[in-house]
This record gives sequence, structure tokens and C-alpha cells, in this order.
Amino acid sequence: MFMAKEDKKQDQATQVAIGEAVGTVAAQSIGEPGTQMILRTFHYAGIESTIATSGLPRIVELVDAKKKPTTPLTYTYLNDNIKNNFEKATDMTKRINEVYLADVAKRVVESFSKGTITIVLNRQEVEANDLTAKQIASKIEKAFNLDTTVEDRRITVNVHTKDLRKIRSTTTKLYESVVSGVEGAGKAVIRQDKKTQEFYVVSAGSALEPIMELEGVDKSRIYSNDIFAMYRVFGVEAARNSLIKELKQTLQEEQGISISDRHLMLLADAMTMSGMIKSVGRHGLSGEKNSVFARAAYEETVKHLINAAAFGETDPMKGVTENILVGKQIPLGTGAVRLTVKKEDLAKLKPKKSKD
Amino acid sequence: MHAEVLDHIKFGILSPEQIKQLSVAKLTVPDTYNEDGYPIDGGLLDQRLGVIDPGLICKTCGGRAQTCPGHFGHIELTRPVVHSEFSKIIYMLLQTTCQQCHRTLLNDDQILTFQDKFKKVVNIEGEDITNAIEKLEERDVMVKKIRNIKKCPHCGSVQQKIKFSSPTYFYIGEKKPKPDELRDMLSKISDHDLELLGIDPRTSRPEWLIISQLLVALVNVRPSITLESGERSEDDLTHKLVDIMRINQRLEQNINAGAPQIIIDDLWELLQYHVTTYFNNETSGIPPARHRSGRALKTLAQRLKGKEGRFRYNLSGKRVNYSARTVISADPYIHIGDVGVPRDIASKLTVPFYVTEWNIETAKKLLEKTTYPMVLNIISRDGKRKRILDTNREEILKIVQVGDILERQLIDGDIALFNRQPSLHRVSIMAHKVKVVPGKTFRLNYCATAPYNADFDGDEMNLHIPQTLEAQAEAKYLMEVKDQVFSPRDGGAIISNSEDGVTGMYLLTKEENRLTKDEATFILGLAGVFELPKVDKDGTYKGRDIFSMLLPKGLDFETKTKSGMTFRIKDGKLVEGNVISATFGRGAKLYVKIGKDYGSQELIDFIFRTSKVSEAYATIKGVTVGVKDYMVNQKIADERIALLENTFKKVDDLIVQYKTRKLQPLIGYTLRQSLEKMIIAELDVARRTAESVLSKYEGEENHALLMSKAGRGSMLNLEQMSMFLGQQATLSSGRIKRGYYSGRVLPHIAPRDIRPQARGFVVSNYTLGLDPIGLFMHAVGSRGAEVFKALLTARSGYLYRRLSNALQDYYVQGDGSVRDASNNMVETIYGGDLIDPIKTQYRLVE
Repeated sequence: MFMAKEDKKQDQATQVAIGEAVGTVAAQSIGEPGTQMILRTFHYAGIESTIATSGLPRIVELVDAKKKPTTPLTYTYLNDNIKNNFEKATDMTKRINEVYLADVAKRVVESFSKGTITIVLNRQEVEANDLTAKQIASKIEKAFNLDTTVEDRRITVNVHTKDLRKIRSTTTKLYESVVSGVEGAGKAVIRQDKKTQEFYVVSAGSALEPIMELEGVDKSRIYSNDIFAMYRVFGVEAARNSLIKELKQTLQEEQGISISDRHLMLLADAMTMSGMIKSVGRHGLSGEKNSVFARAAYEETVKHLINAAAFGETDPMKGVTENILVGKQIPLGTGAVRLTVKKEDLAKLKPKKSKD
Repeated sequence: MHAEVLDHIKFGILSPEQIKQLSVAKLTVPDTYNEDGYPIDGGLLDQRLGVIDPGLICKTCGGRAQTCPGHFGHIELTRPVVHSEFSKIIYMLLQTTCQQCHRTLLNDDQILTFQDKFKKVVNIEGEDITNAIEKLEERDVMVKKIRNIKKCPHCGSVQQKIKFSSPTYFYIGEKKPKPDELRDMLSKISDHDLELLGIDPRTSRPEWLIISQLLVALVNVRPSITLESGERSEDDLTHKLVDIMRINQRLEQNINAGAPQIIIDDLWELLQYHVTTYFNNETSGIPPARHRSGRALKTLAQRLKGKEGRFRYNLSGKRVNYSARTVISADPYIHIGDVGVPRDIASKLTVPFYVTEWNIETAKKLLEKTTYPMVLNIISRDGKRKRILDTNREEILKIVQVGDILERQLIDGDIALFNRQPSLHRVSIMAHKVKVVPGKTFRLNYCATAPYNADFDGDEMNLHIPQTLEAQAEAKYLMEVKDQVFSPRDGGAIISNSEDGVTGMYLLTKEENRLTKDEATFILGLAGVFELPKVDKDGTYKGRDIFSMLLPKGLDFETKTKSGMTFRIKDGKLVEGNVISATFGRGAKLYVKIGKDYGSQELIDFIFRTSKVSEAYATIKGVTVGVKDYMVNQKIADERIALLENTFKKVDDLIVQYKTRKLQPLIGYTLRQSLEKMIIAELDVARRTAESVLSKYEGEENHALLMSKAGRGSMLNLEQMSMFLGQQATLSSGRIKRGYYSGRVLPHIAPRDIRPQARGFVVSNYTLGLDPIGLFMHAVGSRGAEVFKALLTARSGYLYRRLSNALQDYYVQGDGSVRDASNNMVETIYGGDLIDPIKTQYRLVE
């Protein structure tokens, strides 16, 4: 998707120089505009804005390879036959939308003398989520293996015990139990694509697998901003691509900082080259360098020196930092190449007499 | 060329024997100087350890303060102590080896698997390329597996629980082994077993982790300082060593005197404490050793650690000679690729002049000079540097010969590196040609400020003079300003016309614009063009024709701006469109086209000549901003009132609709959220309408408006000064709503009022002045922005440090792949197509 059109003449003119320190250039290209990043204001927020983390915090989160992003979002696209149907799409939203009992209950009354818990439902909420008291009751029965009786919008749960502690703990669990939707999917809302006019569902979680099992979901297009969710479901290549996509989205589309794809690709490739997602920093890429000095100069100086001594490590002196430390030429750019001259050729060279 | 001596560095632990070998003196006296102020023999500043006082001679090497590198000494500890920094390693070894037979607790099968895992992975050249960290991880997994084994698989003995109590105590079952007992246990682990655990036994035998001979650092590492009062002040390390020696001596005396075990143990523990804090005074679990004044001592670990430590302060960054720093000031007449260097600085800084058989005559002529530019020093073939003075010039002239190096003063045309901190990207340091100027400041063309992110409000910059021919060549061919016009971030032009450079050119190229012959010759002359374009009937010249004269010959270029304007240059002539910020300012495609077709020298010259012309023409025309530009006429004032009233009415309508539940919610949002979003959208519409009102009634005679079109500034500036400030925001990027419980911002606002003005919409502007509530709201917004900025700089600085540390070793190999320092492949082909990001925009212009 990033390949430029084939053109031999242009290829030569635009080729990168051998030895070019592309890593440093990439780091600078991403790091330098950090101070220019702005707070999102109203000018471009418009109506389409979401609650997602943005700006520098988002970049830091991506680069840190955080297992759980602050605001995971899943974009569920629908199969071709239903994607333009608002009713069907709304229905899909309701199937995904995670509803807790706490969301639909008006109040919950515990009776310690009878050993029952009575849930009084909020009619509006129940209807808004297309549920009935019976459905909720059967969900509870299944999940907790308890008897329930339904009477209008009252559900009475028989706990079979009069132990105060047990009743209270059951109540707490009841509150958190999912009565509708996909577990772990979070709150789902329906959105419409401005260009294609199709409807899709955005949910505030990264439970991809259960959503993909729903009928009508286009499995090939489902997407999450949670890099680890993409890694888990689609593998490391997909994680790399979504890492690039997320970085690009945050930097370019949201902050208006234009940046060549190549820099983001290099960063994403570095983070995923081992087949896993590794963070940038002391617990990831920087902490796993081969050079003792490079690690010591970065963070946790003493720890690295001590371990190196205890295990008898060798520093191969191939990187940048360690060569700067000892005052040697760095093995990058013009330092990466050597000039070789044959001895006999050298003898042939005769100095020219200058004119002045 | 450099002779490469250093190939790799091996880490290890010094054995007691090695320490004794390294040491030149066994230290016995826990003191420094005697009454006469001379170092005591056998004391901590023994003259065999090197000398730092001028006049004294080192007893080991015979050198003086400048030449003696210093020598190690050692202290023989009466009782051995644990090296506290290594206690985690000792703990690991105790856990993984049998307490009886001292073999690893791995059974025979496991030994085989682990041997396989640690079998060296080699590359084609036979070099070990296993990552040390990977080995460590592998080992950690193994340790976790075997540390809870109850019975030794080899001798069958029962293993007792081992406990580690920070920083140096161990418990085996109920027993608490003394350091010497620990040493015995560790020394019984075989070399073979150590290798299994990833330890190289040749350099790192674990029994060496128990210290019996303490290496004493050379005096050069811990120099004493003589205060003005003549009093001597010792280094923290010396203080610590004195403590160690005192306790060591007391321990010895007590043992010899047959003191009870409990006293000996106490002293032993005290010795352990002092040795521990000698290595690291921030060891957790023990109080830091303090100076008499109560300040914690800076011992070995503290010297290395952190931003001000040896690594980051002295090794990763080094101080240099041949450099200068002063304030910068603007100079539109200095070439973009030049830097104006004050005469004072130019006569201090030097450039080497290598005397060869072909230039020895020139060298002699240079040497004869007694005024600027002259030779300051001569470095003879044996490397001795001599200052050239009036008294010895004649003499040196006689002896100067091929192979000598003269250090001459800086002159015009020398190459210099120019830098402004923070150096966030590579164009923060570029090569300029020196131009010696009067005054005391560096001069810089304002077109070159963008890459440095510099302005002239007191910024200071650094200048470095490359000394070797290699360095000069690299600076000239890789780092010169002309080669840095395009940003490696996205390939757009960072060095370009801006501010007045665009404004003047816009005025010049306006369709109806005519110049007199005087004006035309003046500004073309500035640009170094000495012919006039076609003259019109009335004897005037078209401004657009004059612009065309500045363009490179035969240039063909066409672009379309976002606003839909076509900007076309055909055969070196401007035929359509205007020069505005989008076509001529930062990032304009015109520069990419010129750079691609005419080369970097022509491009930088083009920018320079247009900037001069533009600035001169703006001066002729008189472009300036005054209060009058912001005082609006009655029509605009009326429209402003109407616009605000209209907007507020619309918002009120929305609120009524919301209250009566008639509001149609937006897809995916609740009714309340939808209302908020709609209000914000409505206010945004008001802002944009204000913009169009301004541009409807104000013409280009309003220079504030002119500048928003071509040059610095935006409509927002004008709008905030002449129309209204608009919506103020908070960090959480919503309308301002914090404050009282009922959600109002100030007591002057009714509870639950969500109309624009109650939530930070400021209706006034800078010309009219703000009312108290408006001022408050504005202050809330400004404070938020200020806090955010402070937070952002700190955070983005750290992000940058991490990124650059992680990616710095990656570079493009001969085969087009990107690899790191261990030769791991990051990308098979850089960017998938081997295209340099700096040149990506080449493909966009044609």
C-alpha cells in the first residue's frame, strides 16, 4: 500500500543513500513535532469527534506498546447485504452493545429474612435495549444457576441462603452481570460513513473474537485501535499495519503533521520484527540491545554494568552509543564504509605540481 | 585515518590476585595528609597512587601531575565482605545450586536441553550473535524452574529454604552464613555448571564477588581540593575509604586482642556497611552514609548514574574546542548558506593549514602577517603546539617545514557548523560558509531560521569549526544549507520564503501592479539581474514580469491551491495565479520543482534573491500594521452584532427543542451529547461567518488581512482582534464548565445555564476590550494552554529520547536492507521501495 509507482529514472534519483541513518531520521521525524502537537480544539473536532485518546498521549501509548489502551475501540463493519440498512445496523448495534444489569435496574432490594434479591427494572432502559424482564431473568438463571420469578418489571431472585455475606456478594455480582450484548465489547454506537454512506458499529472495547462470530459481521474488515487485539486475532503483520495506521491517524489526520510513511513503517517494523510487539524503551527495544554500554548509557546504568561483570558479557562495539562513549568513529553513514586502495596503485600515484 | 584498536570490550570481575597485581601499594593508614601537609606513606593519598599537587613526583612512574595517569592501590580487608551490588547474583547462584554437592539443581536431561539453548549461534564469519539479553531471559526461566527443587537430583540431599534479606544477608534454613562461608560455597561451583547458568567462569568466578582485597581508586579519580582558606577538602570517595580503613583496623585490633565474638561480628557488619555504601550510597534497606554537613555522600554508583552522571554527562556528550557561542541577529542581505561571524570571534577561532611541499611559500607568506588574518599557532611535526608571537615569528619562519600545521584565523569562505539547541532534528545543525562581519552577534538570513526554529528575540547559537580535512569535506558535501532545504520528515521545503518574503512578492505580482523604471532597476539590481523586462506603453513595468525575471530560465510549473486558484509558470514566466503563502511559503511545491530540475544551488539562490526583492518591495510599498487596521467600520460592527444575536438565537432554539424533546439526536449520541455537539458546531459556524464578514468588507488596504493571505498570520488573529474571541476551551477539550456544584463557572451565571456566554464563549474582542466574565473565561483558556504546553514539552522530550535510543543503530546496508547493530534485519528493503523520504515529493511535481 505504500509502494510508489515503478519508474526507473525516478527510482535512481530518489534512492536512499547506502549507510543512511534511517533509524535516527525516523526517530527525529516522529519526535521533533512532539512539541508542536496541539490540544484538540473545536475547529476540527466538529460532529465526528470521539472520546478516543489523541495527540501526544496516544503516540506515547502506541510506542509503549501498552497491553490495554486507555480507550480501546472496535470498528465492526457489516456484510454487503445489510451495510446500508439502518434497521439491520441498529439491530447489530444492540446485539453488540454490552448491557449490565446495573444499566437497566432501577433499584435492587435484598431481603435477608427471605433470602431473596428483588430487582426492579427501569422500563425505559429495558425498552431502549430491546429487552424484556423474562429475558433478563433467564440470563441471570443461566449465569448464576439461581431460581427467579418474574412479575411485571420485578425480578425476584431466590438465593437459597440466609447468609448475609453471601446475599450481599451475589447482589454485587448481579450488578456487574451482562444481561445483553457481547461480553467485553463495551458500549456500542452506530455510525455512518460520510463517503460510502454505509453504517458501521463502534464499540468501546477490544473483544474482537466474540463480535466476529456474530452473523452479518464482515470479518475481513473488522478493525480495532487496540494493537494487541489485532495481534491476538490477526497476527503480527496485522499488528504492524494497524500500528502504522494508528500512528499516522494521530499524527497526520488529527494533528496535521505530515510525515512520510517510511518513518512510521520503520518504527512499526522495529517494534514487531521479533514476531511479538515490543515497546520502545527500557523494557523493549532499548533494553535488549547487545551492547552493555548502550544499555548503561540509556537507563538503569548500574544494573547493566553489574550484570555484564557478573556474567562476563562482551560488548561487540557495533552500535552508535558505545562508539561515541569510547571516542571511535560511529559505524553509520560515512563511517559505515571504508576506502581500500591496492598497494601497487598507491605507488603509481604521483603528486601533481600545483600552479602557484 | 583512525587505526582501529578497539574491537570489543569484555566485562568481568577482578579476582583478589588480579587486584594485588594491579595495585602498586597496600594501604594501611586510615588518613590522608600529615601535619606538614604532605601525603602520608601508606595513607589514602600515598604518592605511589599518583600525584595531583603540582611540584610533586609520582613514586611509581616518576611523572608529574600532568603526565602521571595515577595507579591503583588496595586495602586488605581483615574479614571478607559481600559485594552488595552483586547480592542478587549470589542469591540466584545459591538458589540454583545444591547445598551439599554444589552442582546445579538441573537434572541430566535438563542440562542437555539447556546446553543446546546456550550453544552459540554463529553467523557466517563465525561471530557469536546470540543476544546477551536473550541468554539472560533464558536463564531467568530456568532459575524459576529449579529454585524450588527440594531434593538435589545428583546427590539426593535435601535442600533448605534460602532467604535473601536486602542488601547483603542470606539465610540458609535457620543459618546465616558469614561472607567467608558464602565464598567457600560459591568457590565449589564448577566451571561447567557456571557456563550452564550463562556465566563465563574465566572472567567472572562467583567467589570473587566476596571481597577480601578492596581495590582503591587512583587519586586522580578523587582529587582533594584546596579551599581559598588553605584548608583541604577531600573527595567523597576518600572520606568513604577512610571510614573503611578505620573500621578495618579496629576489627583487626579486636581480633588480635581476642575480643568476644559479638563485638567482632558487630565490627564486621559495620565494615560491610561501609563497603556497601562505598559502591552505592543509595542501596535500599540501609541508611545512606552522610558527610559531616549532613549531605549524603556521592559514591561510585552515583557518579555513573543519571543525567548528570559520567555516562550521560561526560561520555555521551563531550565538551569541545574550536567553538563559539553568541546571540544571533537577522540580516536579509547575508546569503542563506552563509553565517555572519563577528571579527572578534573570527580572530580567535582557527583553521588548520597543512604545510606541504606545494604550498610552503603561501604558508610562509601567511606566517609573516601580523594583522588579521594571521597564523596564531604552529603545530610542528612532533605534535608540539607553539604560539606565534612577535618575538618568535622570525625564528619560526626559518624552521617551518613540510608536515607542520599552521593554525590560521577564520576567514570568509571557511566552512563552519551552526547549531541551535534543542537539536531536535538533523537540520538543527547545518554547515554554513563563514562571512566575517563587524559587531558582536552571529548574523543569519531569516530564511534559514525555520530549521533551527530560531528567532531573533535573544536566541543564542553555537558555531563549530571542523578541523580535519575529512570533517570539512563531510560538512561541505553533506551538511550544507543548500542540501537541507527539504525536510527528511515529509520531503517538503523547510527553507523557503516566509513572512515579508511572501507579502512583498504578493504585492509585486498583483495583476494591476506597475513599477516605474527606477523601482524596477532598483529591485532587480538587488537580485543581481541586470536586464529589464518588456516595457509597457506608459513607460512602466508589470510587477509580474519582474517576478518572472527572477525565475530560473525555462521553468514550467503548475499547482492548484486548496482554495481552487491555479498558479502556473510557463517557460520561466508567471502566466496565471498569485504568489501567496500556499504557492510561495513554507512547504510550497514550487521549491521542490526548482530543486529537482535546477539543483540545490540554484534553489537556494532563488530563495535568496526572491526574499531580497520581496523585502525591498514591501519596503517601497510600506507594509505595516496599526490600530487602524483593527478598528472596524460601522457596517462590520453592525454585522457582528447581528451575527452574534443570530447565533445566540439559534442556540436558544436548540435548547428549547432539547427541553421539549423535539431535538433529533445525532446517530450514536444521547440527546444531551447531541445538544452539546450541535451548540459547538453552531458556534464554529459563527466563527467562520465572522471570517467571511471581515473579508467581505475589508480589502487589502487592511494590512492585517493582507498578511493573513500572504505572509505571517491567519484570519483568526484578525478575527479575535476585530470581531470576537469566540469559544474558550479547557484541557478536557470541552466547553468550560467546571466550578460550582450546579455546573456554573461563576456565581454571576445562573445554575444549569448552558448558553454560549455561560460556557466560555467570549463575545468581545481585543479592540473593544473584555468584560470581567469574558476576561475570566479567556484566562481559563490561556491557563489551560500554558499548563498543557509545560506538560507537553517534558513528555515529548522523553518520547524523543526513547525513540532515538531505540532506533539509532538502524541504517541502510549495501543490499538495501535495514539492520541493527547485531545485524538483525529490521526491513528487507528500506521503506519497501528504497526511496529516500526527503525526495518523496519529487514524484509529486511534474
